[in-house]
Amino acid sequence: MEVAVYWGCMIPTVEYAYELSLRATFPRLGVKLIDLKGVSCCGSPIKSVNRLAADYLALRNIALAEETGTEHLLVPCNGCYLSLSEALHHWRTDEELQGEMEKFLDKEGLTLEGGIKIVHTINFLHDIIGLEAVEKAVKKPLTGLRLVSHSGCHILRPSKILDVDDPERPRKLDDLIRALGAEVLEYPESLDCCGAGLLLSHPETAVSLSATKLRAIQGLGVDGLVDSCPACHMMFDARQETGARAIGYKLSLPVVYYTQLLGLTMGLDGRSLGLHLNQSPVEKLLERAQKTFP
Amino acid sequence: MGRRALTLRDLTSEAASEGELRERIVRELGSEFQSCFRCLRCTSGCTSMKLLELRPHFVMNMVKLGLVEELISSGIVWTCALCLKCEERCPQEVSPSELITLLRNFSFQREENVPEAYLKVVSSVLETGFIQEPMEVVSREFEEFTRESLGLPRLVGPREAFSENLIELMTREAG
Repeated sequence: MEVAVYWGCMIPTVEYAYELSLRATFPRLGVKLIDLKGVSCCGSPIKSVNRLAADYLALRNIALAEETGTEHLLVPCNGCYLSLSEALHHWRTDEELQGEMEKFLDKEGLTLEGGIKIVHTINFLHDIIGLEAVEKAVKKPLTGLRLVSHSGCHILRPSKILDVDDPERPRKLDDLIRALGAEVLEYPESLDCCGAGLLLSHPETAVSLSATKLRAIQGLGVDGLVDSCPACHMMFDARQETGARAIGYKLSLPVVYYTQLLGLTMGLDGRSLGLHLNQSPVEKLLERAQKTFP
Repeated sequence: MGRRALTLRDLTSEAASEGELRERIVRELGSEFQSCFRCLRCTSGCTSMKLLELRPHFVMNMVKLGLVEELISSGIVWTCALCLKCEERCPQEVSPSELITLLRNFSFQREENVPEAYLKVVSSVLETGFIQEPMEVVSREFEEFTRESLGLPRLVGPREAFSENLIELMTREAG
């Protein structure tokens, strides 16, 4: 199965671990990723300064993806997933906007049909690849590991437009982690925002929010946190130490992308999954995982 | 991609009057946003309430009262984390976050209170297509890596017509 992939900005400019682990694992599930040329920012940060420009940015990326002729467009970043889904919804429901946008796309030599299906890593794996196929790919199950998940805001809300998972009680990422053999805990703070949306305006508050969530998770005594959004991941992983300082609490929680965990259970080498790039203490999780491997 | 020297002035339009602003809000969001009956579901679930004292229902009602200028000059619209819980949970299906986003657009057009980091992102997207260029990262063992050294393909950005389009959209008269 071929699928076009739109990486956005954060993944290909700094969150390389997500890209590496997705590129390493998806072919093993029978998925061939098709990279896009000429893509740009999805429009997410631009929406705060100009909503129309944000729609244009999103739609031009979708038009580029449609040129590949694949049924699905995989968008691994939550923020991009929302921007693209929302702009496509605007385009489908607002004729005036559609006419306007066609002019701008035309100047770039692009046309938009609007039929491509936008999917995120989580619903692509859960609904299209399927839990059984994921389970089958597991060579080294994570038996005995206790984990929690963070789905992130922008694949859940607004549920009027998005349909990745239940907006108030998401389960798919948990199901996917269980498919790897680990135990998953539910926790009261699971819907709390990572704070990344405040990084550009109130950075100190942003890291306080992510650190407060991490403190709650650490209190559960779990082996780690699993996410699948580059913005959330950056807040929990790379900014864990900054956040810990902001709230005056010692944090030491392994944070991994779901695709990194998936790759580990497939028996892939840690470096090919970018596990050396995580800034949180993932060794603790890796050691525990090694012990569980038969 | 060609570069073109830009100033903020290029991206902003003349400030609209208070009445025009309200009209524009109704035009863009529909008059439904005025159906808020202050149930406070938005505020009770707001990510930014505790630390930044954002109260989305206040924003909704200030606009209803015509206090748009005050909202823009207070800078309060930049305290929203855009988690979209308010939009999801509103029983009247109005969206405080969408209203806040529109007010941010007004702030930008008037060059009022826009956080510096947003302006940087705008410049970068105009120049390169992305919010930033691929960065050098370090592993936990302090080894340095780039896309190239990690074996990742080169990032190919958009062509010239892209930035022309974007500039046109962003310089256009509001509404």
